[in-house]
Amino acid sequence: MRNILLELRAQRGMTQGDLADALNVSRQTVNALETGRYDPSLPLAFAIAKLFKCRIEDIFSPK
Amino acid sequence: MTAPAYPVKNADWNYVVEMFVVAVLYIGVTWARPWLIAHAASPGLVTAATVAPAFPVWIMALVVWRYYRSIDEYRQKRFLEVLALTFGVGVCIIVTIDALYPRTTFDWAWPVLAVTWGAVSAAQTIVTAMQYTQSRRG
Repeated sequence: MRNILLELRAQRGMTQGDLADALNVSRQTVNALETGRYDPSLPLAFAIAKLFKCRIEDIFSPK
Repeated sequence: MTAPAYPVKNADWNYVVEMFVVAVLYIGVTWARPWLIAHAASPGLVTAATVAPAFPVWIMALVVWRYYRSIDEYRQKRFLEVLALTFGVGVCIIVTIDALYPRTTFDWAWPVLAVTWGAVSAAQTIVTAMQYTQSRRG
């Protein structure tokens, strides 16, 4: 899947560590998500969407 | 997502500390076992001393389980990959060594599995780093 996590994080001036803390995941996980090496589970995708006040499909889209 | 046992950030450190304590316990019990067997006052105590090294191993399994429960989903996936590959590769190596040099005990299998675990973890880290570099270029 493609995602705009990096852009959303940059818009809010957050570091990968900040985002990791907000989602209670590791920084490696945020990095893997941003680089498209890992697709999140639905609960994590919902948590990300809630954090950025978007819908899941606004953040994630099929390649 | 299920709630982790403790914050994801502390998972690695807690794992290292817990595993170190259990490893010391295992070495201590294994080292003391011959003395305990020789000085056991009853057959029941001899049996207890004989199986004593198994208990730290069970605690070790518990420590690994706690660690697995306290890391996030991406790292759980990676952890399970390493575990599965270690089991597959480790069994192949152990069976091959046993066929070539049949022995009565399997004490040597532990270090083989430990080295395999380390090698598989290192390989996974290298592959991930290569994928990361590739994704940055793409």
